[in-house]
Amino acid sequence: MSEVIATLILLTVALLLSVVFVYYTITEKDLLKAAVFSAGQSICYAILLHAMAAPDIAMTYLAVSVGLYSALLVFVISKTERYEA
Amino acid sequence: MKAVSKRVVVLLSLLAVVVSTALAVSLVARLEAPASIRDLGKYYIANTRRDTSSPEAVTAIVWDYRGLDTIYETLVLYMAIMGGLAISTIARKVALKTRVGLTSITRTGTRIITLLIATIAFSIALHGHLTPGGGFPGGSALAITAMLIIPVYTLQSLLDYGVTSTRLVATRGLALTGLGLVAILPVIRGLEAVTNLRFYPSHVAGMLISGSLWFYNFFEFLAVASGFAAVALYLSIPEELYREEIERG
Repeated sequence: MSEVIATLILLTVALLLSVVFVYYTITEKDLLKAAVFSAGQSICYAILLHAMAAPDIAMTYLAVSVGLYSALLVFVISKTERYEA
Repeated sequence: MKAVSKRVVVLLSLLAVVVSTALAVSLVARLEAPASIRDLGKYYIANTRRDTSSPEAVTAIVWDYRGLDTIYETLVLYMAIMGGLAISTIARKVALKTRVGLTSITRTGTRIITLLIATIAFSIALHGHLTPGGGFPGGSALAITAMLIIPVYTLQSLLDYGVTSTRLVATRGLALTGLGLVAILPVIRGLEAVTNLRFYPSHVAGMLISGSLWFYNFFEFLAVASGFAAVALYLSIPEELYREEIERG
């Protein structure tokens, strides 16, 4: 029973933290920082998927949304301006 | 200071909306997944080992029970990456200015991390039929090494190692051909395409390979890694070269 409660607390914290990260990603004017916040949101989702016993999805999600997606964003930002006017 | 406090207020109200919606859905509306879908899960848990000789139900579903779906999905990703590369190709040979990479601390750190990532990527992909993971996550993890090497050691050093976009695209084409062959080979013995255990052996040299699952994972691993690495290579070409190319017509 205590295991279930611990999982629920982990789920709640990760979910709420992801909302915070999403809000900061959207409102941040420095695009590089926004990319880092977006990666933080992805880490929260990976924790969620792992807590809900889906390690396959968590692994794919980590590789794609924390690794590839963030790297892609940094490459694209390097081709344009770093700060949103 | 005022902008910061406004941000915090908006954020707190957003969190309040999320929490109240979650409470409303779970306590008032009592939305739950129907119990009937559990039978499907129970079927896979009970029969995966016998049907596909793989202890990993997710890989078994992805490459065996729903194998045709995954093959078409791979084709769609192939088309998307090829389309992206087609519009960003520079036809002539470009002379990259060999710039210096980052400091030696970063270089040494990256060398260690790259080795670790590559090892984990191979184990994710080649163990995909036994443990969580498979070709796609393994390939994406391996492509991240290319994305690390390019900023730290410069693009030129990667090209000097012989990792050129032409070779990566060729690898991707070959890997997808292999994937198609694994799917079609059972047809020559009169079985339907994407047949697993009735055509492929479950063990090779005493090691469990779960029939075609290992081959699918391996080829998907190569295809995804080379495809994403090619995208990284093209994205890291400096913008000025593209501008020159456009001005030349």
